[in-house]
Amino acid sequence: MIGMSRLFGRLALAASLLLLAAPGYAQQPDVGDEPGLIANDDYELPPELRKQVVFFRSSEAPGTIVVQTSERYLYLVQGNNRAIRYGIGVGREGFTWQGLLKISRKAEWPDWVPPPEMIQRQPYLPRFMAGGPGNPLGARAMYLGSTVYRIHGTNRPDTIGTAISSGCFRLVNADVADLYERVPVGTKVVVRQRPEL
Amino acid sequence: MSFRKGLLIGLGVAAVVAAAAVTYERYDTKTLKRTIRRDAVLCGVNKGLPGFSTPDDKGNWSGFDVDFCRAVAAAIFNDPNKVKFVPLDANERFKELQSRKVDILSRNSTWSMSRETGYDLYFPAVAYYDGEGFMVPASRKIDTALELDGSKVCVQDGTTTLLNLADYFRANNMKYTEVKFGKLDEVVAAYKDGRCDTFTADASQLYALRQTLPKPGDHVILPDMISKEPLAPVVRQRDDEWMMIVKWTLYAMINAEELGITSQNIDEALKSKKPDVMRLVGTEGAYGEELGLTKDWAARIIRHIGNYGEVYDRNVGKLGIPRGMNQLWSAGGIQYAPPIR
Repeated sequence: MIGMSRLFGRLALAASLLLLAAPGYAQQPDVGDEPGLIANDDYELPPELRKQVVFFRSSEAPGTIVVQTSERYLYLVQGNNRAIRYGIGVGREGFTWQGLLKISRKAEWPDWVPPPEMIQRQPYLPRFMAGGPGNPLGARAMYLGSTVYRIHGTNRPDTIGTAISSGCFRLVNADVADLYERVPVGTKVVVRQRPEL
Repeated sequence: MSFRKGLLIGLGVAAVVAAAAVTYERYDTKTLKRTIRRDAVLCGVNKGLPGFSTPDDKGNWSGFDVDFCRAVAAAIFNDPNKVKFVPLDANERFKELQSRKVDILSRNSTWSMSRETGYDLYFPAVAYYDGEGFMVPASRKIDTALELDGSKVCVQDGTTTLLNLADYFRANNMKYTEVKFGKLDEVVAAYKDGRCDTFTADASQLYALRQTLPKPGDHVILPDMISKEPLAPVVRQRDDEWMMIVKWTLYAMINAEELGITSQNIDEALKSKKPDVMRLVGTEGAYGEELGLTKDWAARIIRHIGNYGEVYDRNVGKLGIPRGMNQLWSAGGIQYAPPIR
């Protein structure tokens, strides 16, 4: 399965990057972001991408996060056949993965340090960017295991619903702040992809 | 053998032949043949229901129910445009199907026992799970219908909606006040004016109505469903061949989504070596031929119309209606198709 093999490949990549880098290094930067662009907080998501409570049958325990990338939704399982559903942006072609991870760390207004591979692809990116409203990671970040993947906010709310990131899941800032308050470190995150042909 | 006995046997044989002839005439085994001769599927649809069936100003139909008939046409003709849409009223729809004015009724019709037995019809499979739900202003910050105790409820008079509402509140020991009107427009106006705390109708209708409110985002539809409204296509009884085509058209679309086959990657799927995928797209086995169609029947559906999720998203999903129960059984919902094998 490409999903898992890519995941392990990326885990190895992340581990090697971490060896090279200072803590806080490994934020995987995303294509489609504009560092410095101040997020428009009045941006209104299309109705299908707005946060809402939905019917959701699941064998996962309440409190588990389920990401269904092909749908562009993140579900926080509530039990009783319900979940809180958030619209998300997901990894572009070649940056998809699936599997089970846990939230290992949480941060408010995280700093962003694009790794060298990203700088190589997009040399115009800053080498370091302090957390704040112009930061592509947005208002909150939840770090997934020891990977380069995060669930984070965005300064580009118009990219919610698209497949543009480098494997991270982005929510609008209001939604990521809402989710941040609801999930502790240690929360199970299940990522599902569309099956391969 | 006496003459009398011979006469009796003769009469008996004649009676059996006559009964068989009458039965045969009642047998409607030719829908597929007549459809092919006509070079079009006749599809009974709603005159106008956002997301399900609406004509544009040039008479081009679109919607979830419309796409289902196009999928059947794609399976038969490899051409999703070989459909004639016949708009039908709610009260005439089943009779028009019985009298063969249409081949399929794809008109947001709830499958119930009395409709199958009473009209001699058959609902092959559930295309869309709907149910009565509640819309509330988002500012009320409630998550479940069980928090609606003491509410003033806007509801259309003379509907089963009203009866379900009474049952639900009684069953949960809650009080409510009906704010009811004969016409849907009046109910919407009352809700807009804040004359009630919540609005009840079928969930699909609530989402469509929400889009017409000045600020749709200020209203939420609760995830609770208090009634079962399984919407299904309808065909006549005693035409098993046709019924199977209609049933498996829907199941092919659901299976395609589960297997990850879309209108975008169908060519890739035709090269797949996964047995489930090969059986569906017809590169292994002859499942389509056993339906009276071609081996690539399902590939045609997927190429022209897409899988179930694609059809859902393009029509009802864009109204903001979450997949909910209509999500696949493996992804949080209850849509489940038997396997093709």
